[in-house]
This record gives sequence, structure tokens and C-alpha cells, in this order.
Amino acid sequence: MAHISRRSVLQGMGAGLGALAAAGPLFNANKAFAAREKELNILCWEGYNSAQVLDPFRSKTGATVKAESLTNDPTMINRLRAGEVNTWDLINVNNPWARKVMLPEKLIKPLPKAEFEPFFETMLPMFKPPYKWAMSENGSELIGMAQRFGPYSYVVNTDKVSRKTAEDTGWDLFNDPALAGKYGILESDDWNVFNIFIIAGIDPFKTHTPDELAKFEETAKRVFKGAKLIGDIASMNQALISGEIDLHMTGGTYSVSPARADGYPNLRGITPLKGPLPGGKGGIAWIEITSTVNNPNLSPLALDFLKYVQAPDVAHTVAFAEGTFNPVSQMGNKACFDLFTKDELDAIQWDSLQEEMDRSAEYDIVPDYDKALDLMNAAKRLRG
Amino acid sequence: MADLAIAHPERQAAAESPAQLRQDRLLSVGARCALPVALLLGIGFLAPLVAILGYAFATPRSFDVFSSFTLANFATLFDPANTVWLSFFWSCGLALFTVAILAVVAYPIAYGLNMVFGRWSALISVLFVFPLFVSENVRLYGWVLFYIRNGVLDGSLKWLGLPGGPEVLYTPGITLFGMVYTYLPFMLFPMTLGLALVPRDLVDAARDLGAGRLFIWREIELPLAMPGILIGMLLTFVLAIGATAEAKILGGQSIIVISHDIEIAFTYSQNWPLGSALAVVVTFFIGALTLFALSKLDLDRMLGKR
Repeated sequence: MAHISRRSVLQGMGAGLGALAAAGPLFNANKAFAAREKELNILCWEGYNSAQVLDPFRSKTGATVKAESLTNDPTMINRLRAGEVNTWDLINVNNPWARKVMLPEKLIKPLPKAEFEPFFETMLPMFKPPYKWAMSENGSELIGMAQRFGPYSYVVNTDKVSRKTAEDTGWDLFNDPALAGKYGILESDDWNVFNIFIIAGIDPFKTHTPDELAKFEETAKRVFKGAKLIGDIASMNQALISGEIDLHMTGGTYSVSPARADGYPNLRGITPLKGPLPGGKGGIAWIEITSTVNNPNLSPLALDFLKYVQAPDVAHTVAFAEGTFNPVSQMGNKACFDLFTKDELDAIQWDSLQEEMDRSAEYDIVPDYDKALDLMNAAKRLRG
Repeated sequence: MADLAIAHPERQAAAESPAQLRQDRLLSVGARCALPVALLLGIGFLAPLVAILGYAFATPRSFDVFSSFTLANFATLFDPANTVWLSFFWSCGLALFTVAILAVVAYPIAYGLNMVFGRWSALISVLFVFPLFVSENVRLYGWVLFYIRNGVLDGSLKWLGLPGGPEVLYTPGITLFGMVYTYLPFMLFPMTLGLALVPRDLVDAARDLGAGRLFIWREIELPLAMPGILIGMLLTFVLAIGATAEAKILGGQSIIVISHDIEIAFTYSQNWPLGSALAVVVTFFIGALTLFALSKLDLDRMLGKR
């Protein structure tokens, strides 16, 4: 060691750097200039990142497909805003973000309309082209593809609260002092903001007056104080099955379908008959839109993947990918619908799906979400 | 790093040639060889901290890191109307209780591992380490299944014709239980090492001279084992103040802990600057507390090296 001179160290470092430069492609150092024919990166809600969906595509194309799943839209969009447009090829978020936020901010780019619009023709009737959430605000561009969707209000154990009572009473269930300590709240804070507004009798998707925000705050404090637990989907289903709670706020097909598929059909997502949303609606439904990211070096596989998931068998796999089970727009295609067994249809509450969607307003952006969320977070801290 | 840069004063005094003087001022060969790695590790360690610090002074709800400067995030945190202090209070309180309970629970086990269990000590140590191989969340969900209504405890008691288990889930108490359970090994092993430092001869000599058990414990065992005990306490406190999973999974968010507040700021709120400011405040608090504790704790003296 004592014979090591500064020169030999520098020579060694030089050799090391040379080796690193030679190995550049392995480290993706010059990724920005590399062709991306064999690479696809997807930012999505869970399900699209499952091996069941991705592996057949990987073997068909021989590509390296990476998918990262997150469980809220703002985080995904902010990842793009923070500069990750250069990383991702596809982004899969709830309906309003593509049209109202991501396209105006140039985070996504339109799809070739002639190539993709015909797929909407075979989807369920509500998706008939031009489908609002798949189009730009001016209606000229197709900006994404629709697939999974579902009503999302609250879930009850129908052995404890009947479906009829739950639908008739609506959100007032959570105003009932007799039910305090018997309900849970799903940890899905953007949806909880919507639902606290609705419980307070206020339409969430508008700018609110100080009085409305004061009512929101009072409602948030009361509803969170009365909750037995706040937790994830697994915790909610477990607490419903064990009898710890009788119902939980924020939930629907997406959250309860795994428990229903596991043999608990008494647990059911409920869409109330009435509420303070426009048209007297009481529920909210989500529709996922998958768009191509405005990546300067977009992988050509992005469009191939969007076509791949339209195929009846793949759409069925997407509907029943690991985690949660959901209806898909491709069920309008008989070839796809026929792949669903009776038990699968029961798990996703196919019997009431259409009427629940009709009773639901579509997920939208709350203009003063930040203010409401701060009030709700403060209300949560007062639980202890 | 400091000792890398220091030349050897005694040799410097005796230096005879300017060449040797020059060489002495340079880093040692080993230090020079280690420099690239040290730099890389330094950057890897510092970069995220610098980013967090930068975000803490950025415009609220923006991504203008290093391009904006404001104290607004700190003003929000220290606003008397902000209830974030409640989360801080819960985290500190739970961490203190965890440390106190673990000190009492782990001491007899550590004593047993050193003095009583003999050849079984190794096996028993492995049993305490083994749960660490399983993800913390999985273990906590396991406890939920144990305590949940009609779960392992409640169901078994009912099967035996008894009234059933207590309703303990989704309370701050069960959160504390989860933390004590999770951090037990982090208190136990430093404590065991601390107790291993107590020379048996000293205890025997004290006993021969007529000291009672309590006297020996207070005057000999405890002071000599103190480095291990204090390191265990410090380690457990620092880990416990950042704990989130116990309050979420077992506690059902019956209380919101400070690390959960930071998480909310970075996810649903998308207010990275506020989350960063909160992280900076918590880091400084823990850092100051640790430095204070370490200043009171002279390891060299305790270990008898001076």
C-alpha cells in the first residue's frame, strides 16, 4: 500500500472512469439519446402493474416494462410536473385530470384519434364516442382511453344495515349519533374531502363560501371523532367481516369487491338514492383515463400497450388483476363480457352497476381542495 | 472525517526535513484512497437532506426548490392555530413511554441472557431477532388478527365459554403496545452488551465484602451497564418518535403521529415545502436531544478508557 503514489491513484481512477463510460448504456447514462423500442414505463393505479397484465405483453414484445403504482392522483401528476415526463410513457389517473389539468399543462399528448376512437364504439353505452373525459375541453383531441370505473360512496354490512335503509338514508348515516363508533373511514383523503362535503349537505365540486367551509369543518370534526378506525382497504374489509364496524365511508366496488369475491356477499358498496350533488345525485363514480405522457422520447410501445389492454381477454384480466376487482368499459363487448363468471359479476355488483352509475356524479376537481384538506387534517388530529 | 485531516503533532514537532513536513500535512495513504468513496457516500447522505432543507424554505405548495425563499412554512407550523403540535405531542409521549416500558421489560431479559440462561442464551437471542426477518407491517397485521373481534384471542375465549376478549384495538394504548413490541430488540441488545461489560469479579468481590443484592445492582451493575442502557434508550427513542405503522395499523389512526403528518403533506396535500419544514423541525429536535444526551454521556469515562 505504501507504494501507491498520487499518479497511480489517478491512473486507477482514470481507468475506472473509462470503464464506467464504456458501461454507460448499462447504467442508462445516455438514456435520453437511446432508442426506446424495447422499453415502456407506466405510472398507474394498482392492477396495471400486476404480472398477470404485464407478463404477456413482456413476452409478446420482448420489452422491459416497468410499472409503478400509486394510490392518489395528485402525487402521480406532481411526479410529471417535477420533471418525470422524461421517464414515463403512460399515466393512468381518474377522469378529470387528463382533460382539465394534464393536457393544458402539456404533461400528456393526444392519441391518434382515427386509430383509437373506434375502440369506444364497442365499449359500454356510457362510453360512446365522443366520450367526454377522453376528449380535450374543445372536443377536438382524443387524450386517453377509458377502462376501469365504478361507483364509490360507502360500504355497509347488509346484515347490520339493510341495503334499502342504507340507500334511503344516504349520507345521513354518518350524521346519526347512534352509529358513532360503528363506522370506519377509508384512508383516501381526496375522496374523504368529497364525502365530508356531501355529509354536510354541500356539493363538493364548486368553490365554497366561508359558511360552507365552516360547516365542512364542523362536520369533519364530528365524523372523524365518531369513527372507530381509519385505515386502508384491507383494514376496512377485515373490520367489516369481524364485526368491529357495520359500515365505512369512502368505498364501493373498488374496495369491497375482494371481500365479496372471498365469500362475503353481505358486504356491499352502496350508492345513496339522493344527495346534494347536481341533479339531486348522492354518489360519486370514478373512471380511469390512461394517457400518453408528453415524453420527448415516447416509447412506441405506449400505443401498443393501450391497444393490447382493449383485447377482451386482457380487459378481463385487468378487471380481475390482483388487489381490487372492477368493471371495465370493454364489458360492452360481448366477447369480453362472456369471460366473466357469475361469481365475478357478483363480486363487482353487476346487478346494480348501471343504476348506481346513474345515481352518481362523476369524480371532479374541488377548486378549494387545499383549504378543505387542511381543515380535514386538523379535524383528524382531534380524534385522540 | 476530522481525524483524517489531522497530521500527527508529535511527529511534526520532531520533523527534520521540509519534505517530511509536507508529507505530514497531507492525508495518509489510506485516507487518500478512501477519499472517492467517502465523497460519494457524503454526497449520497447529504443530497436528500439538502433537498429537504431547500424545500423547507420554498413557496408553500410549489416545487420551487432553491429558486424561492420564504419562512412561510415555518410560520404555518408555529402558528398557534395549527394543531400539528398535537401530533408532535403524541409522538414524543408515545416514544417516552415506549422507552420507559422497554427499559423495565428488557432489563430482566438482558440480565437473563448474560447471567442466567447459560447455553440457552444464543437460542433465546435468536428468538428475539427472528421477528425482525418478517416485515413490520405483516407482524402488526398479525396482532390485529389476534386482537380483533372474533379473532384469535376473542374467538378462543368465547370458544371456552368465557365472555370474550377486551376491546383494545384502535386505541392509543394498543399503539403503545405495538411500539413496545416492535422496538424490543433495539433496547434489548445494547442493554445485553452493556450488562456484559460488568466484570463478574467485581460483583463477587462486593458480595464477599457484604454488599446486598440491591446495593450491588445500584452501585456496580447499573453504572457499569449504563453505556449499553443509554444507547438502547437513545436508539429506541429516535426510532419510536418516527414510528407510523403502529398508530396506523393497530391504532386505526385513533391518534395522528408526526411522521404521519409528514406523509400526508407529501401525498394527499402535495405540500412538499410544508412536509419538508415539518421534517426539518423534527430532525432538529431529535438531533438536539441526541447531542444533549451524548454530551451528558461520556462513553470513554463510562467504559473506563480514561
